[in-house]
Amino acid sequence: MNNIKFLFAIWKANLQSAMEYRISFISQMIGMMANNFIYFAIWIIFFDRFKDVRGWGVNDMYVTFGILASAFGLVSVFFGNAFMLSDIIANGRLDYYLSMPKPVLLHTVSSRMISSGMGDFAYGFISYALSGYFTWNGLARYVLAMLLAATVFAAFLILTQSLAFWFGTMSNFSNLVLNAMLTFGIYPITLFDNYAKVILFTIIPAALMGSVPAEFIREFTWQSLSQLLIGAIGFLGLAIFVFRKGLRRYESGSAIQIEV
Amino acid sequence: MKTFSKYWSIFQITLINSLAYPGELIGRSLMIIPFMWIFYQLWKVTFSAAGADVISGLSLRDTLWYLMLAETIELSRPPIARTMSESVKDGSIAYILNKPYDFLWYQFSTAMGETIFRAMLTAVFGGLTVWLLVGAPNHAEGFLIALPAVLGAWILHFCFNAMIGLSAFAVEDVSAFTWIYQKLAFIFGGLLIPLDFYPQWLQVIAKALPFASAIYGPARLFVTPSLGMFINVMSLQLIWIVVLSFTLTVVYRSGIKQLTVNGG
Repeated sequence: MNNIKFLFAIWKANLQSAMEYRISFISQMIGMMANNFIYFAIWIIFFDRFKDVRGWGVNDMYVTFGILASAFGLVSVFFGNAFMLSDIIANGRLDYYLSMPKPVLLHTVSSRMISSGMGDFAYGFISYALSGYFTWNGLARYVLAMLLAATVFAAFLILTQSLAFWFGTMSNFSNLVLNAMLTFGIYPITLFDNYAKVILFTIIPAALMGSVPAEFIREFTWQSLSQLLIGAIGFLGLAIFVFRKGLRRYESGSAIQIEV
Repeated sequence: MKTFSKYWSIFQITLINSLAYPGELIGRSLMIIPFMWIFYQLWKVTFSAAGADVISGLSLRDTLWYLMLAETIELSRPPIARTMSESVKDGSIAYILNKPYDFLWYQFSTAMGETIFRAMLTAVFGGLTVWLLVGAPNHAEGFLIALPAVLGAWILHFCFNAMIGLSAFAVEDVSAFTWIYQKLAFIFGGLLIPLDFYPQWLQVIAKALPFASAIYGPARLFVTPSLGMFINVMSLQLIWIVVLSFTLTVVYRSGIKQLTVNGG
């Protein structure tokens, strides 16, 4: 309960800090929404010409793209430091969080808000509303799927970026796997053969951020719900385990730092 | 001649600097591999579903090699807009302005220095991936023929991004412009889908815009090289380079009048 209060206090402070530059905050939010709309036009053009990719049409892509954007946005807004955890570790900036009487991982990842994430978050709901699959039950499933997909995504970021405890600066690797996750996430799962699908559920769990939540939103099935639940719990548990294991190897940079 | 020798020196210094961190260089270049693999999956299924070996004049192999060059152009260009907007916002532009060189030529020389090795490595990794997936390009000589057009593409990207970066004179944050420019280039440049696959009316619009000269032109020239296409691509690029560099100069001159640098 204390941790939840603490999280809300941090998020409030992050929001106030972002709102200090109000025009920048609003321009980033609107800019990101416009960016996503323009990007999605690619899929409209593609399906206008080719109609169908092994059973997936443009309406399915609206849902897939939407859920991926909302999950991405949610993590950006509430756990923005998850994107730069490896830099924080490699530069010795965990010292600040270690000296505080709060859970280190939770405090670190929640200490930054990426304003543009608000645009991604909101765009996802609009994309779902435009998909032709919208129902009120579906919206409830959308929210649940978004929370689970965001958990998988945040856990994946923490997991890959925690490797910095062992290998030092690895922003290139982090960018590579992040790009792979987002790229594979927006493509129809039906494109891939069985070997590729195994990869997309395990090493790069893009299927758990895009196509599986999209299937669950379109139609409730216990299979897709259990895949999402197992994925979210499993990846989160693994991410916390790896972070804690790595934290034992952490060496302070002894640098004077100010966290703003 | 002496004027250009200093920019040549700036270019050389940046080029050598870009080799200082080989891990960084290789890491960035590797990003093309997952992109090419997923493009292969998508287009293999699409060609198979269409039941055709050739769609709008392009085979699966042509399409993949087209996308390889298009991605190389896109992934290898440095974040000029961000660099320039940061220098405007934090005032470090003052340290460049008081040096005996032109601000825009300085930025262009450093941008090109950062681009060359990144592009070469990206093309190598992307080329190897596509080669393994679909085989060698149908016209290997197309690579040499397309090289001047690739250079022209980088100049066009520079003009656009420099204008976005300089808009920091007027607005606080340019990242929204950067995203939108990038996505417009994706669509009207044919970065993810060759323009030939677009509906006719959209092809006409896209090909009339400068984005097509920055991505589609060089990539299409690479896969289906011909003298006619070379002349067409290069002359269109030249027109856009003249128009955009003139606009960039005007934007820069009007922006610099608004600049106030406080303290030192």
